[in-house]
Amino acid sequence: MTTKRRTFLRVSGAATVAASTGMASILASGRAPVYAQAKTVHWLKWVDFVPATDQMFRRELMPEAEKALGIKMNLETVNGNDLQPRITAGIQSGAGADLIMSFNSFTHLYANSVVDLSDIAEEVGKREGGHYAYAKAICSDGKAYMGMPWAVIGGMIAYRKSWFAEVGVTKFPETWEEYREAGKKLKAKGRPLGQTLGHTFGDAPGFTYPYLWSWGGKEVEADGKTVVINSKATVDSVKFMQGFWKDAHDEGGLAWDDTNNNRAFLSQTISATLNGASIYIESLRRADQYKTEKGEHLNKDILHAPLPKGPAGQFGFHLLQSNMLMKYSKNQDAAKAFLKWLHTEANYEKFFLSQKGFATPTTAKWEAHKLWNEDPVMTPYKVAARLGQAIGHSGPPNAKAQEVLSKYIITDMYAKAVQGMAAEEAVKWAEAELKKVYV
Amino acid sequence: MVALATSSAGGKRPAPRARLLEDERWLAFALLVPTAILLGLFIAYPFVKGVILSLTSARVGVEGEFVGLKNFVKIWNDGIFHVTVWNTFWYTGVTTVFKLALGLWLALLLNRHFRGKAFIRAFILLPFIIPTVLSTFAWKWMFDPTFSVINWTLYQLGFITQRINWLGDPDLAMTSIIIINVWRGVPFFAISLLAGLQTISPELNEAAAIDGARPWQRFWHVTWPLLLPVTMVVVLFSVIQTFADFQLVYVMTGGGPANATHLFATYAYQLGIGTGLLAEGAAISLAMFPFLFLIVVVQLLYIRRVEVR
Amino acid sequence: MVEGGLWRRWVFFYIPLTLFVFVLLFPFYWMIITTFRPDGELYKPWNAVAYQPFWTNNPTFEHILYLFEETMFSKWMFNTLLIAAVSTVISLICGVFAGYALARLNFPWAGGLGTTIFVTYLVPQTLLFIPLADIIRNFGLGDTPWALILTYPTFLIPFCTWLMMGYFKSIPKELEECARIDGASRFQAMYHIILPVAVPGIMSAGIFAFTLSWNEFIYALVFLSSPEQKTVPVGVTSELIRGDVFFWGPLMAGALLGSIPVAIVYSFFVEHYVAGLTGSVKG
Repeated sequence: MTTKRRTFLRVSGAATVAASTGMASILASGRAPVYAQAKTVHWLKWVDFVPATDQMFRRELMPEAEKALGIKMNLETVNGNDLQPRITAGIQSGAGADLIMSFNSFTHLYANSVVDLSDIAEEVGKREGGHYAYAKAICSDGKAYMGMPWAVIGGMIAYRKSWFAEVGVTKFPETWEEYREAGKKLKAKGRPLGQTLGHTFGDAPGFTYPYLWSWGGKEVEADGKTVVINSKATVDSVKFMQGFWKDAHDEGGLAWDDTNNNRAFLSQTISATLNGASIYIESLRRADQYKTEKGEHLNKDILHAPLPKGPAGQFGFHLLQSNMLMKYSKNQDAAKAFLKWLHTEANYEKFFLSQKGFATPTTAKWEAHKLWNEDPVMTPYKVAARLGQAIGHSGPPNAKAQEVLSKYIITDMYAKAVQGMAAEEAVKWAEAELKKVYV
Repeated sequence: MVALATSSAGGKRPAPRARLLEDERWLAFALLVPTAILLGLFIAYPFVKGVILSLTSARVGVEGEFVGLKNFVKIWNDGIFHVTVWNTFWYTGVTTVFKLALGLWLALLLNRHFRGKAFIRAFILLPFIIPTVLSTFAWKWMFDPTFSVINWTLYQLGFITQRINWLGDPDLAMTSIIIINVWRGVPFFAISLLAGLQTISPELNEAAAIDGARPWQRFWHVTWPLLLPVTMVVVLFSVIQTFADFQLVYVMTGGGPANATHLFATYAYQLGIGTGLLAEGAAISLAMFPFLFLIVVVQLLYIRRVEVR
Repeated sequence: MVEGGLWRRWVFFYIPLTLFVFVLLFPFYWMIITTFRPDGELYKPWNAVAYQPFWTNNPTFEHILYLFEETMFSKWMFNTLLIAAVSTVISLICGVFAGYALARLNFPWAGGLGTTIFVTYLVPQTLLFIPLADIIRNFGLGDTPWALILTYPTFLIPFCTWLMMGYFKSIPKELEECARIDGASRFQAMYHIILPVAVPGIMSAGIFAFTLSWNEFIYALVFLSSPEQKTVPVGVTSELIRGDVFFWGPLMAGALLGSIPVAIVYSFFVEHYVAGLTGSVKG
């Protein structure tokens, strides 16, 4: 036990921790000395949903980067929810990590405090068949790239093949009506659909935004100013949701966070839920732990499908991650060199493979990668980034749209309605809130 | 008195610098300097900066310009803010009443002699000791709609047939965080009130008992008035902490469902950090101040009155 | 003891006390059982057949091992202890000095100063932590324990000061005056006469301060960045919650191990804590 821990400390210590001095001297002095010979690049990212990726970074990629670039790497991982306080404190105090991972429109929110990464983005885009429109909309304001597109965490409905078949649905529903019918029958058998409408950054907006768009609802016109949420399309969508929720959903979902639906699905209390691929990956990782009621492996009974179509089309809203190079950084050259190195195909592929399809790259070329053929269950995620649409539709995904997102206005509109508020009232509430944002 | 006997304070002659400290004012000054430096540097200065921030249009990374009270006008008209104010008062009020009632009851129980007293007194403090973030995760697990052990127990005992949607229903979500806060706070109340109880001489109660007072009357006329000063102090500190509570709600619900559990601190955090509207976030944090100040002044005046009496 | 018959003793004493102990400690039992429960038993819904929430037949040490082998838990414990201990000591020194000055010395604006110190306790952390980040950077304290050691006293000192003020007021003036007549300086009188008497008060202030710093989350999250500098609350949440997968076993093990050592210390001190508060509330 002791040896194992030591090795871990040594590995991660050498790679990420030591800021050129090693633990002992950090302990002694309290901080890294300024005369360090090699530049240290501090990269702050989320704790990956796929633990293997962080391990791979720590044990392989970071030491390689140090060797190749003659820099020191400090890789720090925090809970996704805790990225923002760190970014804010960094910007306001002018000191912190050099590279920070951004979720969705953080790029627009912090646009003033980041370095333009157009050169790297364009180079990678040219080489790899272009960035998807979704990635461009989120990472670029048309003039500059505020973040280097990293990957999309695709949101697809994970569902139970056999349970859907038992109620006579052999092909995943294509429209909301069909989905509701299927869900109704499933709920009658005690196997409802699971969906969160709580205050959580991943699964809640990942459902409510595409749902709204698929009915033709939108928060603002393309000018990014005129609030148009109060439309017949929106009211229809809210009314449908009220019935849909009662008929087909697990009503405990109102306050779920991003983890609850995973647990509910894995414990087999819900038949379908919108999620990243983490449920499936977990069921593969510990295959023997998750068995169906028939005693078979659960992972054999999981399939993925995109959210159904509405009157206005089919949409998706996925977590897009990019890396921002902070303006206050004193190692911008080194950080940029690292980013460039990280995005070379050979290195990026290591990341891509470790994710096993959980993360979808943001350039077209990767759609052809053989990984997508290895496991047909994962194939739907291949196009996640292609189908994605950015928040703030039809306006730009700017800081205002981000404000709407982080105030959970769209999500709360549906949450209020399913809790009993009249559809028109809920939409009016959202309209009033949106108008306060888009002034 | 023992201290006096063993002290070696006698003989030495005071050095010149020490003579300066003979002056009460200089000694007071010297004694207050460390506190003044720490509080000045790490509270007064950032506080002033925070106040200035709230009067600007600053966003994260953008300095912004002076806009006067515009941010305060905006939050004054903000529906979510109104909900937040109501939530905070409700949360603080209800938890304080329960913490006081239950804490007092527990203190009365613990004030008796029984076997394992020290042991129980120590372990009962556990909820107060454990880092809030971590204990809240344990509660989150217990309230989980799918796995709730509380639901399981109630179901097995035959109290419910349907599960209780602890965190999904707006009222129940508030109830849940109230339960957790009370759970965390009762030990502190109990131990502090126990300390108060121990200062009350048992003879007073015995005298009252001889006079024929019933236990309830004895509590009401003898114990309670003597316990009042310590009670007020404990309530005061508890109210301050509860009013500005952050961690519990942040971990448990993030303010949801549909803002039903937002408190000042979580809403300020959501606006300031989540949305980058630093100035508005600062304004909301500051808005907490007058409310809190008012509550505290009323309590301090009351304490003073009680003490004088 | 409760007077009257045996049944009264049960109704008014044993049953309520048992209920209190049960409710207050149940979450800890729940943490223990989750710590030792193999993951396979974790994902069972509340209404599943043969669900045994309160017991496991296959206890495992896997989670505790994971905590120590795959995370830096022992380092976080050390950091938390160090930071909490040092900031507590600093706050106590400041609080005792300030409390003494405010309670026992005559000087202009004593009342106003006391109130000011108290009011600083009301300033919300959510307002402070952004401007504070600036100060921390200016002093070059970012990502060192000093960032927390110096900021934690801001919410500890007011409490300590007030507690000590109450305590000092309750010590009779004559005690000091005797020593002064014997030729002791004011400072000596304070140091040799008053402080020893005030030890219980200092202890209870210290225990309270230690608990608050043990608990703190926002400052620790914002001011520290290296994994090996983190404190228990921040380390456990940032390493053991992976977005939508919770590592329940290690998470609960971390919560448990993070509180048990302090609980043991408390079990030695709790009587002093009570005694200390007793003194301070007399005033």
